[in-house]
Amino acid sequence: MSMRQKLWLGMGLAALVGRVAVAADSPAQALPAQAIAALEVFRPRAVLAPLLEKDTRATLALAPAIQRATEKPDFRQFQVLVQFLETQLGADWPTALQKLTGGGLALGLYPQQRTVFVADAEDEQMLRQLHTLLWNGAQNQAALAGKPSPAVSRQIGGRTAYSLGKNEAHVLAGRRLVWTKNLEDMEAALQGAQQGGGLAASPDYQAARRAVGPDAAGMLFLNMRALKLAPGIAKALKPENGNPLAALVFAGLGETAGTANWIAIGLHVKPHALALRLVSDATPAGTNSPAAFALPPTATDGALPNLAVPRQIAALSLYRDLHRFYAAKDQLFPERTSGLIFFENMMGIFFSGRDLTDDVMAQAQPHIRFVAAQQQFDAASGTPVYQLPAFAVVLQLRHPEQFREVVEEAWQKAIGLASFTRGQRAEPGFIIDRPVHNDIPFSVARFSTAYAKDPGKMDVRYNFRPALAMPGQYLILSSTDGLARDLMDALAREKQHPPTPAAQVHGVLELEGGKIAAALRANRGFMIKQNMLKGGEVKGNEAQIDGLIGLAGFIRTARLTTGVQQTQLELEFNWPPPVQKAAQTP
Amino acid sequence: MKTRREFLKATAKAGALFSFAASAPRLLMRSALALPPGADQTILVVLQLSGGNDGLNTVIPFADDLYHQSRPTLRQVAAQAHRISDQLALHPRMAGFARLFAGGQLAVVQGVGCAKSDRNHPGAMHMWHTAEPQPPGPQTGWLGRAADQLWNPDTANLPAAFVGAIPQPFASNAERVIVPSLRSPRDLVCPPAKAGSAPGDRLLDGARRATSAAQANSVRIENVLKAHAGDYPQYRLADELRTIAQLIRADAGIRVFFTELGGGGIGGFDNHAGQLGNHCSLLEQLSASIAAFARDLQRDRLFDRVVLMTFSEFGRTLHENGRRGTGHGAAAPVFVVGGRAQGGLIGTHPSLADLDQDGQKVHTDFRRIYAELLDRWLGLDSREILGGAYAPVGMLRA
Amino acid sequence: MAPSAAFDPQWAWARFEPDAHRPWNLALAGHLYRRAAFGAAWPQLQRALADGPQQTLDRLLRPGAEAAAFNRQFDEYETPPGDDRSATELRAWWLQRMIRTPHPLLEKMTLFWHGHCAANNGKVESAPSLQRYLQLLRRHALGDFRALLAGLVQDAALFATFDAKANRRALPNPGFPRWLLEAHLGQASEQDIREAARAFSGWFVQLDQLRFIEREHDTGNKQILGSTGNFGADDVARLVLAQPATAAMLVRKLYRWLISETAEPAAALLAPLEAAFAKDYDVLALVETMLRSNLFFSPAAYRQRVKSPVEYALGMIQGLETSVATQPLGDALAGLGQNLLHPPTTRGWSGGRDWLNPATVAGRLRLADALLRGGPYSENLNLAALVQKHGQPATIFFAQLYVQDEPAAGSAPDPRHAAYAAVAQPEFLLA
Repeated sequence: MSMRQKLWLGMGLAALVGRVAVAADSPAQALPAQAIAALEVFRPRAVLAPLLEKDTRATLALAPAIQRATEKPDFRQFQVLVQFLETQLGADWPTALQKLTGGGLALGLYPQQRTVFVADAEDEQMLRQLHTLLWNGAQNQAALAGKPSPAVSRQIGGRTAYSLGKNEAHVLAGRRLVWTKNLEDMEAALQGAQQGGGLAASPDYQAARRAVGPDAAGMLFLNMRALKLAPGIAKALKPENGNPLAALVFAGLGETAGTANWIAIGLHVKPHALALRLVSDATPAGTNSPAAFALPPTATDGALPNLAVPRQIAALSLYRDLHRFYAAKDQLFPERTSGLIFFENMMGIFFSGRDLTDDVMAQAQPHIRFVAAQQQFDAASGTPVYQLPAFAVVLQLRHPEQFREVVEEAWQKAIGLASFTRGQRAEPGFIIDRPVHNDIPFSVARFSTAYAKDPGKMDVRYNFRPALAMPGQYLILSSTDGLARDLMDALAREKQHPPTPAAQVHGVLELEGGKIAAALRANRGFMIKQNMLKGGEVKGNEAQIDGLIGLAGFIRTARLTTGVQQTQLELEFNWPPPVQKAAQTP
Repeated sequence: MKTRREFLKATAKAGALFSFAASAPRLLMRSALALPPGADQTILVVLQLSGGNDGLNTVIPFADDLYHQSRPTLRQVAAQAHRISDQLALHPRMAGFARLFAGGQLAVVQGVGCAKSDRNHPGAMHMWHTAEPQPPGPQTGWLGRAADQLWNPDTANLPAAFVGAIPQPFASNAERVIVPSLRSPRDLVCPPAKAGSAPGDRLLDGARRATSAAQANSVRIENVLKAHAGDYPQYRLADELRTIAQLIRADAGIRVFFTELGGGGIGGFDNHAGQLGNHCSLLEQLSASIAAFARDLQRDRLFDRVVLMTFSEFGRTLHENGRRGTGHGAAAPVFVVGGRAQGGLIGTHPSLADLDQDGQKVHTDFRRIYAELLDRWLGLDSREILGGAYAPVGMLRA
Repeated sequence: MAPSAAFDPQWAWARFEPDAHRPWNLALAGHLYRRAAFGAAWPQLQRALADGPQQTLDRLLRPGAEAAAFNRQFDEYETPPGDDRSATELRAWWLQRMIRTPHPLLEKMTLFWHGHCAANNGKVESAPSLQRYLQLLRRHALGDFRALLAGLVQDAALFATFDAKANRRALPNPGFPRWLLEAHLGQASEQDIREAARAFSGWFVQLDQLRFIEREHDTGNKQILGSTGNFGADDVARLVLAQPATAAMLVRKLYRWLISETAEPAAALLAPLEAAFAKDYDVLALVETMLRSNLFFSPAAYRQRVKSPVEYALGMIQGLETSVATQPLGDALAGLGQNLLHPPTTRGWSGGRDWLNPATVAGRLRLADALLRGGPYSENLNLAALVQKHGQPATIFFAQLYVQDEPAAGSAPDPRHAAYAAVAQPEFLLA
């Protein structure tokens, strides 16, 4: 199992457990201090209540991974075992799990794939009973098969450690259960936890615990001192990897994380919402860092609030000083990619030889906003065989009066070049129109429908009607004229109530799950077809795609905020989800 | 420092070698190990610089006023460049090349190109890739035809390989040989397979031989990968040359390596705008990576077995354009690097006063270089591959 | 190639009827499915054992109505959603079709014709055009070769492949006619090729469609293969079909494809097939004669071909009783030298022993390892369940399934290891 799968498993386990009060002492005390990563649930009930709701369970069951798991023969065996235990313990499984683990949970990951799991039961009696049931079960089964019992016990440091087989070992200490994969791991775990009060007493863990705040219901703790040494992680911390676009988007996020000794993700449960808040002790990027192009220079500056348009799927607002970014290209991407050189060649043509860094990039203000929205198609213009969302970027010009026409010229050259190149390959090109919206003329390039065949199955290219609009100081580059019009409306509305930048925040990403689900649903047939290319059968594919659409609908909105000073990442989900609707709509 | 022979001996002793192959036909395995397919054979490395390298800013005519007058923003001054004659200097960022030149291991063949080039990328590149043989319209590349000549199904050899992440350029397209695209030596490492030894017919024996050869290669490569990987700068080209060095060291039997700098498609050396910084960066990658490759091969005394040749589809115009870049030109220098290269300047620097549509005139047909490499280095018949006879330029030591 | 031992043609092409000396067994059933299909799953081999060779061949040659329905469905699936320049998705659909089809022989023969006249998307750069080309090959793959050839000389993808998108009267393009004459007659005089090129003038590829532009056609007389007239491209095809060498060439090529590539067949051996084929160019009848024959089921044919990468991979996949992701599979096969729809030359792949060099064998073993692991190819692969379903120890099951032999020494009982050990044998490289 990979580290990531383990983390997910850990989070999944935690999700299945516990209801009642906070334990007086932390189960993390029973984890050795050298954990690479650890997950602790302080208040299992708060975490579990929403997860155990019927609707939530129904939605989660749609997840392709869970569907696959439940189709396996092992799952049937597992269900039989659960039923047996329910009868014996006299409680249904959610209740039993809560009683067994309601006092708190902790999972630690250690080198050599070792894991230690700690659960503080609320009902000590039930914990003993479960242990006895499984212990006797293992012995009886072996006796029936005429084999020696795999269940053994051993004294470790004054405690009795039990093993039901080669993949299991546990210790009972009052209300506390400590679980490891085998007795050797258990020995190491018990010894490790005795030294210096375990993970709960380590300075990094305590700092992380303080940083996630008292209202957190749980915390995922990452020991970056150890993780940074893993090659996979080291690579993940450099996501841009010489790619200019990635360097622009990630803005040194990985490097900053690389300076952290620990990173903690606090889990906060709110009514109908869940937030994951990332905190760390990372050193904020300095003004001399190559990533300084994402540093708002004044304390109150930062990314603007996102724009809102109809049928919006996603919106991203960034604070990026493009001029500074491009001026730092020698440090950011010393190895020139062919794409970059081609880009410069083209920009040289579009902007008639203007210096790309000083004369073009410098014209853009650092407030940059992106929007993606579902498209509307009508019978008159035809519907493409699969439907891509429209997307657009909105920039603000520093000197709109002088630069507006330069941009228009560049855009028309680019469209012309695209038409020309397509023509060279005997493909249809663009026609440029100048419609007017809100009294503002703008430019739209569209593919002629003279080549279109079946209006219900138009070529994919009819998803694109590139548009350029420049209301006021704004510059809208959109993949469709429809979205350009919606953005012109949104900007007009914004003008009535000028937005305040989010101080020292350099990225805000917002997603709307319902709209994502709708976009997916519009392409359901296409997705089923694509899954067949992956070797699936039509029937299985339908269930998988519907599961995916259902899951997307589960997230009403998600919001990711990246700030400069504190490297904070925040994710919010809203629930309970509109399960039934999402799953049943054809 | 270990000698190559010691290294081979150590490799052969490695216990892991026979652990998987207990029932492999011993004779096949043993002979495959005792006489690796490519041991002591010459090796050609061809490096494509995609986009049309600016020869004038690579080998700089610093003493020529026309150069300085024509390139107000792109010109390089003598003080920073590496002088290789009283007229010419290598670009300031090519310290590695300068050292190779001083050591007599770098030949700079000047004024090379295709006389008929129409200066568009695909057309010009196609000429370099096919070598324009007779009859026209060939379906294979010159390296592919060389690979077909080197191919012998009876010995299950591997004549040629492309090393890089881009789609294989046409030069290595062969009629018969399957030329693999490798990104790392690990691409030739395979899980164990038993070649079997029961008597079979000719076809089955062939399949067994190929299986044994793949296994033996795999073991040797794994051993090389355990050894020191050489000191290379952190460039994609350097990684690719390291891969080539490791495959040479593993005696994978590959006689022709083909690799690329610039991305293969659009962009790369095609600096129409803002050339200065981008070209500097590319030349630094080129020079530092090749210098590291040479140093690495010298470590095992393999440099005498290897010749590396660079080419680009055309040179660039003398005058810079309005975008601080240059246009498509004609002749450009070709670099030949190796322990047995005839170091120094070969041919004259084409005059800047006598240009062909602002590009330097070609005085050396590119196929003369191909012919010398095919005949004198690989021991093949260049006339069959190039569809004509071409005089060598003398870039290899006898 | 060494000349084959002399076979009595009458015996060679007579229907194979098993007897005590030449019993019908698992090895021959595996052989039949390797050649007439892309390998077999265990239930297919078992059914073939029960049915005998001729009845099995009835099904392979003429499957039920479900084959037509399947192909209509896939024609729709594979249709590109736009004017795609890349054919990798079309390639992936073709591989899915090969894996899932109820009529594998049809796909096997479509692949044969692709190798005979190989359109290359490197030149065509149009998935819709390649789709029409493939559909043409499939429509006639087991039909009338005259109709196929008439279609080929009207196919836009082929004109593009031969760099002949514009065949002007003033500048006749020799590529396509050169292929047409040389691929069927073995050789052609430059004079014939020049004249035939004139006959091809007037054909242009515009917006992916072939168009005839009257004024660009050279209406003068041409002298081709001894005939004189105002010929067009279709006439050249007709003249080629009238040459006895054409039938002989195709019979020989098909012999290599279906029977053996190790021994050059004697002229007398092929003579009866050539005579029959030259009459009506009925491909199905020719294929049927070859597949039903004594010679096909004799040692002279058994494992006398090297599997192409497609046959190698599909041979494994068919045994798994599930499909796999064919986008990465198409890439992997390209790495092994068989990039469907992107052949090295217009003559397709040279094949045979050229398939096997140390890099491609290493690549095949890596692909086998990845496929049997599930890897990027399948999320649902469950070898243990497969073994359990067929109720045999894994080592025996996979050895029988993949090489119809005893397990290799030292095979491990773990299903994945057992499956890998079976396909990692050199025997599995052969068809």
